Amino acid sequence: MTKLWHVVWHEYRRHVFTRRFVLAGLMSVPLIILVIVGLIFLIFALDTNTTPLGYVDYSGLLANPVSAPAPEWPDRSVQILRFETEAAARSALDAGRIQAYFILPADYLSNGRLSVVHLGALKDPARTQFYNFLTANLLRNTDPLIAIRLVKGTELVVQSPDGSRSISSKNWFDVVIPMVAGIAFVIAMFSTGGYLMQAVVEEKENRTMEVIITSVSPNQFMAGKIIGDTAIGLTQIFLWMVFIVIPILAFRNSMSILRGIHIAPQTLLLLVCVMFPAFIMVSALMAAIGATVSEAREGQQMVAMISLPIWIPYMLTGLLMSNPNSPLALGLSLFPLTAPLTMLMRDGLTILPVWQIALTASIQVISAVGAIWLAGRAFRLGMLRYGKRLKWREVFARN
Amino acid sequence: MPAVGLTHISKSFGSVKAIDDVSFTVEKGELFGLLGPNGAGKTTSLRVMLDIFKPESGSVAILGGPMNESKKDHIGYMPEERGLYQDIPLERCLVYLGSLKGLSPAEVKQRAAGYLERFDLAAYKTKKVKELSKGMQQKAQVIATLLHQPELLIVDEPFGGLDPLNTQMVKDLLLEQHQQGVTIILCSHQMHQVEELCDRIVLIDHGKVMLYGVLNDIRRQFSGHAVTVRTSDKIPPLKGVERLEPLNGAVKLHLSPGTEPQEVLRSLVAQNVNLDQFEISMPTLDEIFIRVVQGQAEVA
Repeated sequence: MTKLWHVVWHEYRRHVFTRRFVLAGLMSVPLIILVIVGLIFLIFALDTNTTPLGYVDYSGLLANPVSAPAPEWPDRSVQILRFETEAAARSALDAGRIQAYFILPADYLSNGRLSVVHLGALKDPARTQFYNFLTANLLRNTDPLIAIRLVKGTELVVQSPDGSRSISSKNWFDVVIPMVAGIAFVIAMFSTGGYLMQAVVEEKENRTMEVIITSVSPNQFMAGKIIGDTAIGLTQIFLWMVFIVIPILAFRNSMSILRGIHIAPQTLLLLVCVMFPAFIMVSALMAAIGATVSEAREGQQMVAMISLPIWIPYMLTGLLMSNPNSPLALGLSLFPLTAPLTMLMRDGLTILPVWQIALTASIQVISAVGAIWLAGRAFRLGMLRYGKRLKWREVFARN
Repeated sequence: MPAVGLTHISKSFGSVKAIDDVSFTVEKGELFGLLGPNGAGKTTSLRVMLDIFKPESGSVAILGGPMNESKKDHIGYMPEERGLYQDIPLERCLVYLGSLKGLSPAEVKQRAAGYLERFDLAAYKTKKVKELSKGMQQKAQVIATLLHQPELLIVDEPFGGLDPLNTQMVKDLLLEQHQQGVTIILCSHQMHQVEELCDRIVLIDHGKVMLYGVLNDIRRQFSGHAVTVRTSDKIPPLKGVERLEPLNGAVKLHLSPGTEPQEVLRSLVAQNVNLDQFEISMPTLDEIFIRVVQGQAEVA
């Protein structure tokens, strides 16, 4: 048993404490997220013009105006200035002191019509801030609770009959999180599975295999490699989570959108019962491929046979979203290679029956055990095939 | 009880019979030679012995019975197709291979230090294996094989790729292990090395045992009917000598059937020939090997 842990530690250490793992494996997803978040901020920055806005009020609504609530970060506040005449406003606009001015005619309250004058494009954030200012003044004599409700609108929450699940119209993270978690797992699955396949091929290529198998049994060796590989994947996912959770915790007080982020217990259950065995299954299949091929490049071509079915649910997102309980969705949930992503995607869109979760989890566990057996067999038959590929027919042959 | 015993072992790969009814034993503490030309079935015999391949028929006993996981810790195997993990430092590679033989990392480091010093590799222990020369990697492989102080050492072509200095170093190391009572199976096609180190041999060709036994007995068996004479005098015509053959400054006298070497010696002394050397001609292992293998090829 000790030898197995030596193999696990060797495998883990050999891949995790490398520059490649830190750069490609670990930093890739946080870097992508950082770039996306950076782009969002850049778009906000480019979209927000903080030059003041002006208005000329003939309706009397804004005679003694109240301020609108300050916009939420990352939006920046735009000062709103009153002008007595259109000529004065126009002069300020021409001088560049304001970016636009609104004219509220005398009959504004009866027909709701107003006009705006601007030279350059008037961006949405500034326009929205003026409308919020207008709404605040229209509702100034209303009960504050009603005023807030009118400004914030209604939140529709769809709830399951037993109350165990609910989805809010304002919190789309509930739909997205399981899907993103599924995709992150699959990415980790293939990047670490790739390490395992490469390690097995390298051990064949550099002839260390023959020494190893006269020291440890092929089954122990293969099990050690698969456990090591799974540990690498979990490390990767854990560190991705750290990279993602820290900014969420840091900014959740200033960004209300982040306050809605939470992971449902059922999503966690699916990650443990469906994704985890799927991880082991893919690792074992990658090891089996490594054992059958004679060089890494040849193995990469065979990986497509596994990766393609795994990504099928992602390609069928539209169909799954429009009908997450269709026979197609159920079929994909039961097939070992398509089940991981399908179940996670459906988790955000529908209420999954317990029997389906139990059945899928059982199928995944059986598939993982089968894949380990297959890997062990391919390894025993293919470990000393130097420069010659092992045929799958031989792997499945009786002896 | 022998250290290794192969009894009527046969193993095929597809339609090719790699070894056919091979039997031999290796005694405890013996330095045993496993010989044969390339493709004769030597490595397959070793892999069957080590339980890497299952034989179709026959049985293997190693260190007193069938192979099991605990016995692996008492066997050191250096395969012909050598390899180490290329992208990790040498010492870490040795620690890993040693730990798979049941040693703790501290034990491996302690034992490796002496060997690394002896093989002039101490300065390279923190270097990645791929940064070492081929010869250095070869020596590192020898160290990895010996770290756990095996009872049975199986070395397949241990001198391949080594310069004369390192060949001598490995040879000395094998003799040292032999003196310490380690059973050694030396698999090679370099006959002079085997001749120098081994007492008993088995020669395999085309998967079959061609010769097996004590080396001197085998040489005697192939000695033919000749004597080698070294003298500064001219050799006169002698009764019972069919022909003379010059041989590296000496002369080989081929005797007629029924003529004893002692009769020839008596004749030479009687005719006052000053003898520097008189010995019964014994073939080298190289000559025996060629004769056996060529004979086998003719039969085939």
